[in-house]
Formats: sequence, structure tokens, C-alpha cells
Amino acid sequence: MCASCSTLCTEPAPMPRRDRNLWFGLCALVLVAPWLLGGGYFINTSNFVAIYALPAIGLCLLVGYCGQLSISHAAFFALGAYASGILSARQGLNPWLALLLAQVLAAVVAVFIGWVVLRLRGHYLAIATLSFTIIIEVLIKELGSLTGGLQGLSGIPRLSLGGWPIASDTALHYLLWTVTLGVLWFALNLAHSRMGRAYRAIKEGDAATALLGVDVSRHKIEVFVLSSLFASLGGSLYAHFVTFVSPAAGSVMFAIDIILVLAFGGFDRLWGAMLGVLALTYLNEYAVTFADYKRVAFGVALVVIMSFFPTGLLAGLVAAGQRLWRKGA
Amino acid sequence: MLAVRDLSMSFAGLRALSGVSFEVREGEVRAVIGPNGAGKTTLFNLITGALVPQAGELSFAGASLLGRGAPAIARLGLARTFQQAQLYRSLSVIENVLLGCHAAGRSGLVACGLGLGRARAEEHAARLWAQECLARVGYAGREDRIASELPLGEQRYVEIARALATRPRLLLLDEPAAGLNDSETDALADLLLQLRQSGLSLLVIEHHMRFVMRVSDRIVVLNFGEKIADGVPAAIRQDPAVIAAYLGNDDGTART
Ligand SMILES: Nc1ncnc2c1ncn2[C@@H]1O[C@H](COP(=O)(O)OP(=O)(O)O)[C@@H](O)[C@H]1O
Ligand SMILES: [Mg+2]
Repeated sequence: MCASCSTLCTEPAPMPRRDRNLWFGLCALVLVAPWLLGGGYFINTSNFVAIYALPAIGLCLLVGYCGQLSISHAAFFALGAYASGILSARQGLNPWLALLLAQVLAAVVAVFIGWVVLRLRGHYLAIATLSFTIIIEVLIKELGSLTGGLQGLSGIPRLSLGGWPIASDTALHYLLWTVTLGVLWFALNLAHSRMGRAYRAIKEGDAATALLGVDVSRHKIEVFVLSSLFASLGGSLYAHFVTFVSPAAGSVMFAIDIILVLAFGGFDRLWGAMLGVLALTYLNEYAVTFADYKRVAFGVALVVIMSFFPTGLLAGLVAAGQRLWRKGA
Repeated sequence: MLAVRDLSMSFAGLRALSGVSFEVREGEVRAVIGPNGAGKTTLFNLITGALVPQAGELSFAGASLLGRGAPAIARLGLARTFQQAQLYRSLSVIENVLLGCHAAGRSGLVACGLGLGRARAEEHAARLWAQECLARVGYAGREDRIASELPLGEQRYVEIARALATRPRLLLLDEPAAGLNDSETDALADLLLQLRQSGLSLLVIEHHMRFVMRVSDRIVVLNFGEKIADGVPAAIRQDPAVIAAYLGNDDGTART
């Protein structure tokens, strides 16, 4: 049946072979990483990479594919983290159950916020989602009896397996990266499916899309909810990993950091987002010594990247390289 | 199958359409002609739900189109092309046509994300159908070319293929022959007649008189938003009101 048609439909899965191979490569790397990196510092930082990758993957689908610039991912990250933390540390729920309920809560909030803000476009959408982030940041600080206020929320229990808390860096490494690899796999499939195609069509313009019978607002809400859920899942895992959450998790600064990750890796490239998270997380760790200047440096970097490489630094460099290569050849 | 009754629309006091009525029968090629600014494109925008009429009735296959959004109207079996081809410029040819298949798709976000077998089977079937639609319009180029790189003539054919991919019962074409030379126009006329042969009904806006006379079964003539004539090509050709309207316009019948 397939003999007569092009190479495109010889692919058994929606995901192109190259992405699948890269994904399996990453799986292999994750499997051996504890031996390569040794225990301690490197593996610990790599666990943060796995966590921060979740909101970045979500934002990549929402902004890069569907073209809906949202600055609410830090808020959903914080929502997941605090809901998980409060339910397990204060209410005494099993951490797994707390994590699950946190995602349900985040989904409900995302449906509502998405329904309200996705009628807006461009700058208005960015401002509305930024406002939501600010509201969450204020609520975290003000509702001290629930959230611990500025002191943060401590004593969050770890996730456990068969009665044993997952506490060692290596065990956490396998848990966190299994989740992140799963989410990445889902996102890659989605990006290359009919949904990803519809998102890119919506990004280009709504008018013709609606006339093709595509339900634009429904797709926008779906991808917004999914992408917010990825962020809140990252937040919940963070809470049970660090066992402590502070208001910084829901700050506008963190929201901008996630956007910076995409600015570095390329807005519509999931692998670029992964590389961006990797680079930024390790950079952040090393930049601790000059933390005061870090914000300024990152801010300047964001402006410079957006001016010269509006599709993202890595993506822009790759495209420029290809142009040079073609000229040379 | 399509009935337009007393349709009126004005923009900030300018009457783009006033009290226009006509119908399209199953399996016919119906043309809409008229000088620039006569309200032809506005008529398409109203039928497809891109604009909401201020007065009048629209019905398709017995169902009223009023109060339905553009996506719902499209799903009833209406598809259109635009005066300026509206392809997704950054998507490839096949992806553009596949978007025509999107609304008929069943697999949802979760099935797509998990890469379930039924989502993959559906994608495969959609791809075959999209390729068939491209073949139907005679597109011979590479299907992975990016739409913005195509010459305008090819963009128009890809846009027709994308409209066909929605499996429409009525296809609306807005000036499909604009900018084509004589032999290209003849090829387009052949295509439209072939589509009618396959059971599709067509509503076509066009200026090119030789083309209109050749393909259409019946013609509606609009002038300043009003219908001034309606009938078979032979009758329209001799209609004094039509001749008067066109003689007063640079775009006249001289362009054959
Ligand atoms: N969205 C709109 N807003 C304001 N005026 C419009 C709009 N669409 C069309 N018009 C006006 O309505 C009249 C009819 O336009 P149109 O339907 O495009 O004519 P045609 O397609 O027959 O050339 C023109 O005078 C045009 O300027
Ligand atoms: Mg027009």
C-alpha cells in the first residue's frame, strides 16, 4: 500500500526518524549518566535540568508551535509546587496523591484562565498572562498561613516507592528523567501530528483556518491546558525533590527565565528547548558567585537575542550556518 | 442546494450588497460576475461565515447558515479559495492540503501525543487523500516544497487542492483565473468542468468572460451590490443592463 507514495508516509509513527533516534539516544544517556557524572553535584544539577525542561517543553508547544505568547508558566509551576507541598506537608496526604490532585487543580485553573485570556492576541495575551503570574506571586506572599509566605514552605515529604522515599541523587535522577523523557516523547509526537500542524496553521493566521472547519479556540485552549500542566507537573516534582518551595518559584523572574531558555534554544524547537534548559541550568549554577549581575546579564542577553535572532539563538545560528553552507557549496 | 435570499450588507454606510437573491443547484457551475467593488467577495465572506449578514437568509442543503460560525459552515460541506491565495506560507504543500483534512480528523490531543495506532492510521489515510487531491488538480511539483516559494499560479492550485481535501459539496472560487495567461485559463476551465463532472457544485467569481461563458451553467451579475441579471450565458451576453454596466467599466467584456 505504501510502495506508491512518498518517503513521508513510510514513517510508521508521526514522529520523524531523526527525532526518534535522538530521543532513544537521550534515553541511553540518561541510563548511563550516573556512571558518567558520578554522584553529587553534576547529577544534582542534571535533576534540575529534568524539572525545568517540563515548563520549557510546554511553553515551546504553546508559543513556538501555536504562537500564543504566555508568561504564565512560572505561575503554573508555582501552583503545582505549592498545591503538592500544602496537600502533603500540611494536610498529610500521600505525596503521590498530592501530586495528582495538584495536577487536577492546575488543569481546572488552566481551563478557566485559558478560556478567559485566549480571546486576546499578541501583546494583550502576554500582558494578561503576566498579570496572572503577578497575582499568583502576590497570593503566595500574602497567604502566609497556607504558603509560609516569604519564608517559603518547608518539610515537604519526598515521593516514595514501596515505602522507601526516593531520596538519593541517583534514584531521583531516574525518576525525574523518566517523567521528562515521557513528556518529551509526548510533545514530539504531538508536534509532528495533525495537532502540531494545526497549531502551526493557527500561529500563521486564524482567518483561513476557521474556514477550513478547524476549531481554532478549542485547539488554543487544549494546548494551553496541556502546556500549563507540564509546568505544574514540573512544579510538583520540584516540591517533592527539593522538599522546600519559596515564592521565587512563582516569580516573574522565573517566568522570564523560561522564556530565555526558548530564546536560547529556538522557540519552535523542542530539542532546542532541551539544550536551552541544559545550558541555562548549568550556567545558573556557575553564576551563583556573581548572582547580583546575573539578572542584568540575562536581561541583556534576552534583548540581544530577540533583536538579532527572533526565532531563537541556536535556531538562528543553525539557519545562518545553513545559508553560509549553501553559498559555499 | 445553496439559497441566498435578500442578502444585504453595508460597511460604515457603504452598501456592499443590497437584497441579493439567487440559488445554486446541485451539480451546476454558477458564476458571479460584476465590476470591481460590486460586492462579489463580500458575498463569499457572508456565505462562508467570515462576515455576518445584516439582513437576509442563507441556507445550504436545507439548513440555515445564519448563526453558525465559520468552522461549522465549513463542516457542512462548503469550501472556498481566496482572491489572493491564502496558503500557510511557512508550511509545505502537503501540509497545507492536509489542513483541509484536519476538521474530519477524529484522533484527539492525547491519541496524537501518545502516537496511538489509530492516530497514525488516520494520518496515513489523510496523507493519501491529500496526495489524491493534489493529483486531482494536476499539481505536479514536489509536495514538500514550502508554500511561500511557489509561483502564484501553483499556489492557486494548491489552494484548490486544500479546499477539495475538506470533501466539500459546494466549492467557492474567488477569481481563480486572475493573472493566468490564455492557455493556463483554458486548463483551469478544464479542471472546473472535470470537478463538476465528479459531482461537485461550484460557485465561481470571475472577470474573464471567455472563461465564464465556457464553464458556467448560469450566471449572476452584480453591480454596485445589486443583482442586475441572472440567467444562462447566452442570455447574459445579450442582456442590455449587463452590457451597460460593463461598458461603463474598464474591466469590460472586451477582455476575452
Ligand atoms: N471588510 C470590509 N470593510 C469595509 N469595506 C469593505 C469590506 N469588504 C468590502 N468592502 C467594500 O465593499 C465593496 C465591495 O467589495 P468586494 O465585495 O470586495 O467587491 P468585489 O469582490 O466585487 O470586487 C467595496 O466598496 C469594498 O471597498
Ligand atoms: Mg473581490
